[in-house]
Amino acid sequence: MFTYVIRRILMLVPVLFGVSVLIFLVMRIIPGDVAQTILGTDATPEALQQLREDFGLNLPLHIQYFNWMSGVLTLDFGESMRTGKEILPDILSRFTVTFELTLISALIAWIIAIPMGIIAAMKRNSNTDFGVRIVSLLGVSFPNFALATIIILVLALVFSYSPPVGYVGFFEDPFKNLEIMIIPAIVMGTSMAGAVMRMTRSSVLEILMQDFIRTIRAKGAKERVVIFQHALKNAMIPILTIIGLQVGTLLGGAVIVEQIFSLPGLGQLVLTAINQRDFMVVQGSVLFIAFIFVLVNLLIDILYAYIDPRISYK
Amino acid sequence: MTNVLEIKDLSIDLIKNKERLHIVNNLNLTIMKKQKYGIVGESGSGKSLTSLSILNLLPEGIEVGNGHILLNNDTNLVNVSKKDMRHIRGNEISMIFQEPMTALDPLFTIEHQVSEVLKFHGETSKKEMHNKMMTLFEQVGFARPKQILKSYPHQLSGGMRQRVMIAMALICKPKLLIADEPTTALDVTIQAQILDLMNELTEYYDTSILLITHDLGVIAETCERVAVMYAGTVVEEASVKDLFDHPAHPYTKGLLSSVKSLGDRTKKLYAIPGNVPSPVELKDAGCRFASRCPFVMDICREKEPELFSVQDRHYSKCWLHDMEEGSTYEYATTDSESS
Ligand SMILES: Nc1ncnc2c1ncn2[C@@H]1O[C@H](COP(=O)(O)OP(=O)(O)O)[C@@H](O)[C@H]1O
Ligand code: SF4
Ligand SMILES: [Mg+2]
Repeated sequence: MFTYVIRRILMLVPVLFGVSVLIFLVMRIIPGDVAQTILGTDATPEALQQLREDFGLNLPLHIQYFNWMSGVLTLDFGESMRTGKEILPDILSRFTVTFELTLISALIAWIIAIPMGIIAAMKRNSNTDFGVRIVSLLGVSFPNFALATIIILVLALVFSYSPPVGYVGFFEDPFKNLEIMIIPAIVMGTSMAGAVMRMTRSSVLEILMQDFIRTIRAKGAKERVVIFQHALKNAMIPILTIIGLQVGTLLGGAVIVEQIFSLPGLGQLVLTAINQRDFMVVQGSVLFIAFIFVLVNLLIDILYAYIDPRISYK
Repeated sequence: MTNVLEIKDLSIDLIKNKERLHIVNNLNLTIMKKQKYGIVGESGSGKSLTSLSILNLLPEGIEVGNGHILLNNDTNLVNVSKKDMRHIRGNEISMIFQEPMTALDPLFTIEHQVSEVLKFHGETSKKEMHNKMMTLFEQVGFARPKQILKSYPHQLSGGMRQRVMIAMALICKPKLLIADEPTTALDVTIQAQILDLMNELTEYYDTSILLITHDLGVIAETCERVAVMYAGTVVEEASVKDLFDHPAHPYTKGLLSSVKSLGDRTKKLYAIPGNVPSPVELKDAGCRFASRCPFVMDICREKEPELFSVQDRHYSKCWLHDMEEGSTYEYATTDSESS
């Protein structure tokens, strides 16, 4: 198990290296000039050149990359080209918002999806099952922005309630913070729940048809033991795969939902930075997002190995 | 001797578009205390469904349509409550399946899975469970039982897993052990060991066996009585010796002549021309073997034969034993033909 984890961690290094090279190159290939966006269209060519030199953009590419990387490895992501603010603290403070949103959404999703998926599998082809399947299909296919709009409209028109404007951190005012977060989390949670529900239903169904389930029943097990101790644990591997992908993606920022609810999350940071061609911020946050994504996947892999004794031997 | 299990007029139905197809029909058999009873028949003849029906483990869409299954002459397993059935499973009747590779949960240790049986049937003392498991594991021939307890299924070979299954099946000292093709998936060299082990241990624990196989050699080695199944019904029932010495039913004769040497396990039972009819091809009227029978007569296609008694406790479901219909029928190898 220990060597397995070490091996998986070492595998992250080339992945992150690849991501860093890729995002570095992409930022230099896409059209648009940070100096131009800062100084405006009537800036003199000399002024533009001066600014580019200040940012080190005139240096050869490999030197630029080396400078960036040596900073990153000492946890210095550089400063924003627009605001001059340090990048890493900004990323981290936005990550707390994204993290909280992800956590609440995921909890909502799992609390709904896993029990519903199990019930649907146990009562296959019943009305309950059809209900669950329709709801999960809606959850997967209904666009977030539409759901968000509907919820906001219904709350406003029917209950004359509108969520607070402006973000407040959890540690400043927990109740206000939760009030702000709960609606976006419900929006994100329902769309996550759809996929998890489908996966839970189909993998529990598949496991219930296995020979060993018959053995467990033949031993005199109660249905509760069959489902929750044996079927669910075996079904957990594909469910975890979905969960890992969703959480990994969501931790990289939920651009649309953040935008609709004006949450200062990671998605907003990246979006703004791309629009402004703020190279350093884009590079730094993309690398950070990639790091979080692979970290979540690593955790999922460790969970796999914890659940399934066959995995660490492969 | 007392009956452990009595199956009477059992039919097992496949329910399709609200129609009922009798996959197993009019099946009768009785297993006595400590008896080793075999069911033999080609693949698709309904052996597995019959065995699954005993513990109410039939797959979805298939259910018992008719008849009863009596345990110890009093409990009808066809309509016991779920709770009572749970108490019987693994405790009074236990089961071993064909595929040792997939019969155990891959995510739990052997110890967990074997101790579950004891737990389900009321054992709470960890020490007691451990002792019982150690005893059984030594009896099934594990040199290092402690190590086996700690391992996961994928770390054991097919033969070892089948030993675990046997230990698990016998740990509550059941009255009946049902073994559905317990050696079919194993190497030939291991097959005999597993059969010997089952024989030995069921004798030790006074457990009756219902052994299901497509292999007449296995029956010859293990069983005392045997039922020959064809297309969902028992066509002949006799002691193993009678069956091999004086087969009465045309199907049994076909089977026996297709196995030249009884010890030869490589021979399969497919030497009779044609196949077992699938459930959809089955007609309710007439003899189910009629499409393949060399002796077929007009009545065979119209009326299902009764179970004729051809000798003392030797039964055959064939019109040839009816004096009026089959007066010319030769019981080929028989010397003491009854009237
Ligand atoms: N789940 C099922 N659904 C439909 N038909 C089935 C199912 N299981 C078995 N059958 C049919 O029932 C018949 C008997 O099957 P089975 O009891 O497995 O035979 P055996 O064990 O003697 O090989 C076969 O013709 C098979 O096609
Ligand atoms: S009843 Fe007729 S068809 Fe059936 S086995 Fe006897 S002779 Fe053959
Ligand atoms: Mg079978």
